[in-house]
Amino acid sequence: MDLNKILPYNKHTVKSFFSFDFTVLNIFMFLLSIGLVTAMFYGIGVYLIHGHHAYGVTRSHAWGLLIAMYVFFVVSSTGLCIMSSLGHVFNIKEFQIIGKRAIAGAIIMILTGFAVIAFEIGHPVRMVIYNVLTPGLTSAIWWMGTLYGLYLFFIILEFFFLNNKIHKYSKIFGLAGLIVGLAAHSNLGAVFGFLVSRPVANGVFYPLYFILSAMVTGSYLLFLMYGWRYKMKFPPEVEKFMITLAQVLGLLLAILMFFEIWRALTHLYGHMPERADIMLHMITSKNFLIGEVLLGMLIPFVIIVYSKGRAIKAMVYASITGMIGIFWMRYDLVHDTQLAPMLKLKIHEYVAAPGLVEYTPTAVEWMISIGAIGVAFMWYYAADKFFDLDHSTDNNGQ
Amino acid sequence: MARYGMALDYKSCINCKACESACKEENGILLGADSHRIWVGVKEIEGVFPDLSIGSTSFEPSQCQQCDNAPCQEVCPTNATYYDDNGVVRVNPDQCILCTYCMQACPYDARYIDDRTLTVDKCNFCSDTRLMNGETTTACQATCPTKVRIFGDLDDPESEISQVLKAREHHTLKTHLGTKPKLYYLT
Repeated sequence: MDLNKILPYNKHTVKSFFSFDFTVLNIFMFLLSIGLVTAMFYGIGVYLIHGHHAYGVTRSHAWGLLIAMYVFFVVSSTGLCIMSSLGHVFNIKEFQIIGKRAIAGAIIMILTGFAVIAFEIGHPVRMVIYNVLTPGLTSAIWWMGTLYGLYLFFIILEFFFLNNKIHKYSKIFGLAGLIVGLAAHSNLGAVFGFLVSRPVANGVFYPLYFILSAMVTGSYLLFLMYGWRYKMKFPPEVEKFMITLAQVLGLLLAILMFFEIWRALTHLYGHMPERADIMLHMITSKNFLIGEVLLGMLIPFVIIVYSKGRAIKAMVYASITGMIGIFWMRYDLVHDTQLAPMLKLKIHEYVAAPGLVEYTPTAVEWMISIGAIGVAFMWYYAADKFFDLDHSTDNNGQ
Repeated sequence: MARYGMALDYKSCINCKACESACKEENGILLGADSHRIWVGVKEIEGVFPDLSIGSTSFEPSQCQQCDNAPCQEVCPTNATYYDDNGVVRVNPDQCILCTYCMQACPYDARYIDDRTLTVDKCNFCSDTRLMNGETTTACQATCPTKVRIFGDLDDPESEISQVLKAREHHTLKTHLGTKPKLYYLT
């Protein structure tokens, strides 16, 4: 059986697979990826020996950095899927060239997310079995996990048909992937939003915010992927796409800031315990002010507004700060949800009462979480080698 | 079938921690696992020695509130947390995937990771050790020297707990969340 007839791919020898131009940037990325993956494997080794004791998570702060990174990766995946759908589902012409690269990125990101969560869920094999045998239909985690599985299936089929240039089916599975992806992702927001015990997270905000911030994340990733692909020398159609992308991103960031402002105001208003105090702590923290606001939103937004979206090279660099900001958004989301101690009574057990629950990730958590970025880099490198991810000039550029 | 609950005459608590010891012995809680499964909340005495306000200190025994509408059960993705025939919220360790979502959802911090089974566990009113043998006591209740705890069937109007709840005012914790706890604090 010739696999190439089913799914066309570029054949490589080991030598040709590992050959690349010896530029400073390429060598840096090569070493960075190797370093990150090594760190991840070391972290996994320590986890397999010590279990959750290798992490900084506690009974009061049961979710830590790995959950944040899982959210980071799956948000990235959904974001890429949504942004690519602007072209092949909603027929915005400039976006029609990004199909294959964006969907390949979406598959890579969700697989990396699954790789991270496998080392946070205590019994991942048991999860697969009992998700099917005894499904908890009132659980947002069940819906999120199941829908993400289905989403992955659809976007793999979409990539398959895109790669085979069968655009009728790629459109159908693209639409299916988009709808299921949106459902899965808003359910991930609901994992936090459904927590009646946590007033700071409870409510409609997170399911909506997850979709919006996914689109922002997808935009940053597209800037990075295309900046890397063309090494800042963009062909005219790519330049046109990136300018449109910058303008769309400007609008998305404006809406995101609007969302954030109103969340802060509604949470602060009325001084409700476990909501107003936690929100005040959140918005005065360095993570939020420097990470989320400055790096994640303001720097890219100012560049877009100042240049009217035309400074696409600057936006590639600003997308690096943007992704760092997105990381802090995910970290703060998980951490801040757990800040309030659940039973006030326990505070009285201490002479100096601890106000908020504390958490510091261990080196092992950092190694697995950040190391996974190296895994994503490697998969992307492999995808770029094996498949032709560039757009063609025929058939609407897809 | 019964519907078990517990009333706590918490103002009689002397913080001897006999309930904690009995629970941990009965249910095999590992050494060093403080405030796991059951605990006594202590409000520290106010003032500076020797001007201490004796009346300012108070003790509040607590554990899983055995909610009729348990958030931990609702969020469990594999139904590892379930209500048994006696209305007790229990965990099937074979189905628990250790996602710890229940620990996020419980408003009472009553969930903990059992390092023996690597699953999330909680108080189950001694269902495994006593109720299944036909006994109608719990370890914490049987050992309490000041009879803080009254355990029994809420559906039986003649049971001691039903009589006490009829006769005395009581409250539940975080009632506004709609979890309908079956631990009643007598006031």
